[in-house]
Amino acid sequence: MTNLAMWARLKSPWVIHFNSGACNGCDIEIVALLTPKYDVERFGIKLEPSPRHADVLLVTGSVTKQCTDRLKRIYDQMPQPKFVVAIGACACSGGIFQGTYGVEGGVDKVLPVNAYIPGCPPRPEAIIDGVVKLLNALAASTKKAPKAASKEEPALNAEIEVTEEVKPDAKQ
Amino acid sequence: MPNNSIDIIRILETKLCGKPVQIIPGQLGIVTVKASVEGYRDIFKVLIEADEKTAISAITGIDLGANIGVFYHVRTSNPLLTIQVEVPKENTTLRTISDIAPSAALHELEVTDLLGVTFEGNPSTGHLVLPETWPDGIYPLRKDVNANEVKLNPEPPEEKSDEGKLVKIIIGPQHPALLEPEKFAVFVEGETVRKVEPRIGYVHRGIEKASESRTYIQDVYLVERICGICNSCHATGFVETVEKILKTEVPERGKYLRTIILEVNRLHSHLLTLGHAGLEIGYEVLFQYFWRDREPIMDITEMLTGNRVISSSLTVGGVRRDIKDNDIPKIRAVLGDLRKRIPFYTQVYRDEPSIRARMQNVGILKRDIALKLGVVGPVARGSGVNIDVRKDEPYEAYGEIPFKVITKDAGDTWARMNVRMDEIEESINIIEYALDNLPPGPFRVKVPRAVPSGEAVNRVEAPRGELFYYVKSNGTTMPERVKVRTPTFANIPAFLTTAIGEPLADVPPNFVSLDPCFSCTDR
Amino acid sequence: MIDYLLLIFRVLVFPGFTFIILFTMFCDWVERKIEARMQNRMGPSFTGPNGILQPFADFVKLLTKEEITPCDSKKNVFRLAPILALSVLIFAFAFLPIDGTSAIPGMSFAGDLIFVMALVSIANFLLFLAGWSSSNPYSSIGAARVLTQFLGYDIPLVMLALTPAFLAKSITISAIVSSQWLPFLILAPWAFVLFVITMQAELEKDPFDVPHAESEVVAGHETEYSGAKLAFLKLARDVQIVFGAALITVLFLGGANGPVPFGFLPEFWGTLWFVLKVLGVVIVSEYMTVLFARLRIDQVVRANWRLILPLSVLSLILTISLVYWIYPLV
Repeated sequence: MTNLAMWARLKSPWVIHFNSGACNGCDIEIVALLTPKYDVERFGIKLEPSPRHADVLLVTGSVTKQCTDRLKRIYDQMPQPKFVVAIGACACSGGIFQGTYGVEGGVDKVLPVNAYIPGCPPRPEAIIDGVVKLLNALAASTKKAPKAASKEEPALNAEIEVTEEVKPDAKQ
Repeated sequence: MPNNSIDIIRILETKLCGKPVQIIPGQLGIVTVKASVEGYRDIFKVLIEADEKTAISAITGIDLGANIGVFYHVRTSNPLLTIQVEVPKENTTLRTISDIAPSAALHELEVTDLLGVTFEGNPSTGHLVLPETWPDGIYPLRKDVNANEVKLNPEPPEEKSDEGKLVKIIIGPQHPALLEPEKFAVFVEGETVRKVEPRIGYVHRGIEKASESRTYIQDVYLVERICGICNSCHATGFVETVEKILKTEVPERGKYLRTIILEVNRLHSHLLTLGHAGLEIGYEVLFQYFWRDREPIMDITEMLTGNRVISSSLTVGGVRRDIKDNDIPKIRAVLGDLRKRIPFYTQVYRDEPSIRARMQNVGILKRDIALKLGVVGPVARGSGVNIDVRKDEPYEAYGEIPFKVITKDAGDTWARMNVRMDEIEESINIIEYALDNLPPGPFRVKVPRAVPSGEAVNRVEAPRGELFYYVKSNGTTMPERVKVRTPTFANIPAFLTTAIGEPLADVPPNFVSLDPCFSCTDR
Repeated sequence: MIDYLLLIFRVLVFPGFTFIILFTMFCDWVERKIEARMQNRMGPSFTGPNGILQPFADFVKLLTKEEITPCDSKKNVFRLAPILALSVLIFAFAFLPIDGTSAIPGMSFAGDLIFVMALVSIANFLLFLAGWSSSNPYSSIGAARVLTQFLGYDIPLVMLALTPAFLAKSITISAIVSSQWLPFLILAPWAFVLFVITMQAELEKDPFDVPHAESEVVAGHETEYSGAKLAFLKLARDVQIVFGAALITVLFLGGANGPVPFGFLPEFWGTLWFVLKVLGVVIVSEYMTVLFARLRIDQVVRANWRLILPLSVLSLILTISLVYWIYPLV
């Protein structure tokens, strides 16, 4: 059964894209992935609108201070098992904006990152290459994903205080 | 209505004689008027009376040591003019001009946010671009503030607002409709929008402050990454301003090459928007087709500059690389293919019933409101306002290349998209003309690394509208102040007005027709 | 004894549960490939030969994900709605004669056409409840849109479904199928066209795609779901689409009727014709989906009350007059 689960996870990675303060260069290359020339639906990759539906979080941008909290929240809303891919030089390390007052400087200061795709912006081929490498690395790893457990959480965009602290889980 | 420069100076001299102002022609635009804190509002009244196209292009705040300078850059039917006011740091209060010029409201808020000047009478409050956790009283653009050392407050709790029977829907920061993070709190009653409260600043990286600690050449790369989509325009705006301070003349070939790169940039941006609009109205096929036809344009960009998206090919003094002779027929071939697709797409946008059902009479912006709010670009041209920096104040090779400015009168989403559709053909014409008439010779001149003291303003026509730059140099290799005002910043008030009273389902197409680029807005 | 085993086989495997699920996944693959090809792309290609296992992989993957229940939601409704919706739709399949007779012998009763239409409405209502019980403004708006749409379009749907009933002079589905020596599509083409359009609206496909408008309400009523519940919700929607196509096939295209070569194995040939006809309807429906943009909710509602409903009333009158006055003369 585990093999079947792993096979299904590798063949159907649903992504959600979050721009944490990018110049749009990486984002339009990500959207270009859905277009006929690159077409990632061949791999089963679908762009999902809701964080609750997605497995992989694609983050672009150098994580501005205003976006930090939102980025964490979106990561928390995703169900396990989940992976984070940092796309672009800004997401990897802050890029050209390293040291400016508005940015944290890289996604790994906020979330555990599973794959880094450098470039400014990376070509769509590079992004596909990175995602495929991530999937292959997952296939090669023999770790079992954490057991799918039922969890209770505040709903998206709910107007209530977050009473329990939900910690981002350890690196996969 | 005066439409040549001498008249505006004479009008100002006549109407303002006796007032404590100093009129300096030829500086920072066509004329600079240095005014006092009490009297500057009268100048606006004079200008607005004289010309209906008067609008605030940008408001630059600058730390001048003991004072803070507030420069109002005003756009009229003429080239830009500037009104300078200085407030001492001890008493940074000015009366607002947003009552006489509504286009100023958002600009004033930015100066308040980043430099600490309070504008009495401006209705907006709170931070504009700085994050919620930024401590009050610390203004990043002041020279004595080391913005990197600022300690942020803890995250403020979500405010619960009681709007009665209005349902608050938050669009963003992560939302399928938006490529970028911005938050719009839309208050709906049933399905009708009653109020829209924007919160921008999610993409604020502090570029203006960062540009002061990098050399001019490094700043070209920094400034390009304000926006990946219109990156060449940002680069052009910046290098042209620096060239104005240096009083350098770019060789003819360089100007033509820059024009070609700018127009290729415009092509890819318009194709992007037209496809994205398809996504918003649920018409995925349109999105796929437009983006498929956009890929050859990215190939041209790569041929010309070496990069698909961020071109990095402009520099102070010209362009960095020449066009290869055997690339020119390839470029022409791609443009020829795109030209053949244009009738199909134009017909789709004109005749397809579902597009018309979703876009016609949606988000109507009337001409007088467009003029009052100072909107720019295809948003203005879709409402019948004929402004285009390429014609009003020609730069690069635009003065020599014949082309039309496209305007439509309806003022709805459909008109705005049709303007962009028609501008694609004009861009192709411009590029082909430029390729036909490419002058031989050098494409770049060497410029000194340290720029002598001076300041200049400059405007370029980005795909989204008028892009404004102000650069002040102090004789070193690093600029003293760089101010950028992007077109989406000027167009946001238009969106807020047109969304009210419309159904919620119309908000995405309306929003996309604005062609927002928040990384431009927040910098 | 054999009867009981046969009954269990018919319910669980064929033409019951397993067959329906597998057929639904196949139709989902067909839809995705058509959408992709029309958009000049390839669609799923590497999961199994030509990507045919993609819907299965999606389903299994969702089953292995963590399930998150919003603490403010109405938990019991939130947890039950997807499974109930799926069950109701699969149950409704039991009344359709897939291989010539209904799935469970003795299931078919007089008047089961009305019962099946009611089951479709109940399933839609459960999907509405799924969105309503998640405490999320996007889900609430999506759910409200689902409700508005299906309540409105149910009326012309039932009226148009009565046309084959009048033509066959019975409201039992198996009787309708067996009296289609000539498919009713030919005898009442106007009703067929209107029924297909109304079914498109009932199934919430473009241009009536409003409850799934990504750009406005994120994922609509599905927004808060994750894990196995989401898997069942998505499966319920796919089964709904196939059921709609099956209903069109049974009512207008002659169901499992078709030439039986060599005269033997009528069940096999019946199933084959049924499957081919349903696939045909799915393809045409997906074609329409891709071709159109999405209408606004008020345009959808207006299209219903001002256009579809009057036309379906006229269609009913026309059918009745044809049946009782014209056809007997022929």
